[in-house]
Order: sequence, then structure tokens, then C-alpha cells
Amino acid sequence: MSTKEELLKRLSEGVLEMEEDDVAEAAQEYIDAGYPALDAINQGLIDGMNQASELFEEEEYFVTDLLLCSDAMYAGINVLRPYLPEEKNDVKHKCVIGVVEGDTHDIGKNLVKIMLETAGFEMIDLGRDVPLQKFVDTAKEREAELICLSTLMTTTMPGMEEIIHLLEKEGLRDKVKVMIGGGPVSQNYADKIGADGYSTTAVEAVKLAKRLLAIA
Amino acid sequence: MISDFRCTFDNAIGISTEITKDLKLSFPDAYMHADTMAKIAHAMKQKEGAAFCMLPFCHTVEAEAMGGIVNMGDGNLGPRAKEYCCTSAAELLELPEIDCSKGRIYEVLKACQRLREQGEHVALMISGPFTIFNVLIDPKYVFKAMRKQPELMRDIFQKIERELLTYIKIAVEYGVDMISYADSSGGVNILGPKMAEQVVMDFTYDFLKKAIELLDGKAMLLLCPKTTLALIGTEKACYVDHELPEVMRYGEACVSLIGQVPVAGQMCIKNIDYQLENKKFREIRLY
Repeated sequence: MSTKEELLKRLSEGVLEMEEDDVAEAAQEYIDAGYPALDAINQGLIDGMNQASELFEEEEYFVTDLLLCSDAMYAGINVLRPYLPEEKNDVKHKCVIGVVEGDTHDIGKNLVKIMLETAGFEMIDLGRDVPLQKFVDTAKEREAELICLSTLMTTTMPGMEEIIHLLEKEGLRDKVKVMIGGGPVSQNYADKIGADGYSTTAVEAVKLAKRLLAIA
Repeated sequence: MISDFRCTFDNAIGISTEITKDLKLSFPDAYMHADTMAKIAHAMKQKEGAAFCMLPFCHTVEAEAMGGIVNMGDGNLGPRAKEYCCTSAAELLELPEIDCSKGRIYEVLKACQRLREQGEHVALMISGPFTIFNVLIDPKYVFKAMRKQPELMRDIFQKIERELLTYIKIAVEYGVDMISYADSSGGVNILGPKMAEQVVMDFTYDFLKKAIELLDGKAMLLLCPKTTLALIGTEKACYVDHELPEVMRYGEACVSLIGQVPVAGQMCIKNIDYQLENKKFREIRLY
């Protein structure tokens, strides 16, 4: 029988190597052996995902790799979830994320979602081609502190500015930070429309989100 | 090593409100009929001062003809993918063949024909596999299959190749004299260098060779610079320079060389005002 450390290593490496089935199997073995589920997530799955994001920063891994790593991570989480201790007052920072209306390119958005989730944010994913008002309504209902907007198309970029205006109209602008990203988007554009931040990659997005919300 | 071309043009789908207002069309109806499509394409050409008309106005036509679900949008935000119709890569093989004699794809072809009959040059914009997948399936399933089921992916690429070649063959019969090919969703910036190279080897090169043979000089193939750089970077193509008689815009140069140069791709065709200052037109010659 494998030790706890061996299984944690297998979980971490399984995520890094994108071996979804092996991660699920290792997670089950880990649970069957009676080890605590939370450690498997933090020291196994998230450790693997963090290593993957380091490789992404070093341009060893690419977008497609990270998506597959995250699939492996979620395969493990699905096995472990029923065994997690009930959350007490562990307040997570809530973030609404989506691709603005008119655009359906969601690879970048999915990546940012995964990275922020790995970093401990509670992500509310609205998907792609999302009506502008829905970002504002969801942020209001769920009391989110952050909205992440993505688009790959020049024609849908104005939607980002519109969302900022809608937040102002609802009196929410001071309560919610807005981050933008996507192919044609730039820091200049973020400044122009009054967004709080822009990031070029998913890894940078995590640093930016933490900075905006003053999280250590 | 494949370099990337930072794209800002290919993503400019949709139609300016100025044009939609002037033409007094109702959307999304106008996207569905040959006569309105032709009117819009002509108005866009006039407004932008382009050398040719471009159709269609979105990247969903091929996928829709294969069973994809499309949100037709409005005058501002054009047709785009709705929910995915496939939940596994294997399901892509079960999708119907493109039937160019019905639906929106037929209307696009008729619109091309109408414009050609009016004496216009027409570029039919054809999407590559990853752009098509973007409408049909969550791309992560395709990335996974690329990595773990290469045989399945080869079959899927072959299916896409068959569908696109059929579409191109019929488009030429309808008079189209320029075929623009782009697959920005499958760029090296997304796939990474290894997978991008694999796509050139498993799909792009063979597909383009067959397309060139099929076109036989009757239409020029215009590659998105991302595709050009993928071919050059994998040593599957090279540049061959042609001297132009004068400084010309890229689009005008393309039109002037139809029938002489089979493949172009040094710049995005949507970069209407791009001038070839050095009077050199770069043919993309596949090995």
C-alpha cells in the first residue's frame, strides 16, 4: 500500500502530466487509505496545478496543456469532494467571470477561471456570450468583489465599457473591481474604459486579482 | 519554430451600424438570404474601399452546415456559436456532411454568385478546423483527443478536410475567385508550438495542397498570416517574391494576380489599407 506522501506525489504529478484517470484512481486510493481529503487537494492537486502554471510562465506549457492539467485536477477533486470537511467561516473572495456578449471564444476565460480557483477564489462562471446586464446582476446578487471580462473580438470590446457604466448606474462601482483581458485588449484600453486592471496571461491575472483585492 | 501573427483583424466580425442603417435591413433575417448578404457585402466593400467583397460575415457557416447550433445575432453582433452539439471528440465523426444545396451555406454561395455576376471579385472566407470546432464542441475535448487519441483526431481532420474541399469545389463553380482560409482559434498562441506543428502535419499542409490542386488557378487562395507562419515555421512552404508594377494595397495586388499566383498570405486580407511599399508581393509556395 502506498504511503500518504507517495499518493500526494502521484496526485501532483498526475495533474502535471495531465493523467486524468490516474489522478482519479490515486484520489480513490488516498481516500480508501483514510487520509484527510483536504491535504490531497492542497498538497497534491493544487501543488500539481501550481507547478503547471510555473511551466506556463516559463513557456514550457501552453494553454492547451493547462486546460488538460485542470481537467486532471477536477477529476481528483470530484473523488475527494464528498470527504472534505464542511467549510466553516472560511470566506472566499467571489469573482464573476465570463466572455462578453457577442463573443464565444472562451479558452482564455476558462484558463483565468482555473487559475483563480486554484488560488482560492470562488468563481462564478457565467460562460460565453453573456448579456452585459447579467454580469452586474450576478455580482450584485452574489456580492462579488471582482468581475473578470474577456473577449477576443474587437467588435465586442465596447461591451466591457458598457458593463462598467452599468455598475456605476447600480451604484456598485466602488464595491466591485473590474479586470479585463483577451486578444485585442490592452492596458491602454483598460485605462480608457476605466477598468481596474488588465492582464496578458492567466497567471498574471491571479497576481492582479490579489493586488486589486489587497490579498497577501 | 512557428512564429505568431498578432491578430486584430480576423476577429472583426459583425457589420458597422452605419451600413445596417443605410441598407434598412432587418436582422438577423438579413444574414440568412443571398440577396441581403450580397447587398451587405457590397456596401461593406464600398465603405471600406476594399478591392473585393468578402463573405460570409461570421465563422459559423461551415459548422452550422455540419449540425452546429448558431445564435444568429443582430446587426451589431453577428452570428455566433450557441450551445455545443457534441460532448465528445468521437461525436464529431457522426456529424452530417455539408450539403451546399440548402441552408445558409447555399445562400452564401448564391450571394457570391450574384456579386460575381455584378462584376465584383469575391473572397469566400473559409474557417479551419479549430474555428469550426469552436461552434461544435468545447475545445478541451479536442485538445485532449490531440494528445491522447491521435488516431481519432486524424479521422476527424480527414472529415473536416473532405467537407472543406467539397465546399471550395462548389464555391468555385459558383464563381468565387478568392478563397480566404483562416483558423485563428488554432493559432500557435493557443495550441503551443508542439501542437501547432502537429496540426500542420496532420491537417493544414495536406488540406492546402489538395485545395490548390482543386482551385487549379481559377481562384487565389489567401491564407491568414497565422497559417502562413505555421507553414513557414515547419518548413512546409517558402516565400517567392513577385515584382509589382507599382506600389499597391495588398488586396488590390491579390486581385491583380488571380490566375498567376495560387497562394498569398503575407498579410491579413482584412487589413484593407496595407500598402506593399516595396512593390513586392509574396507568394506562399508549398513544398
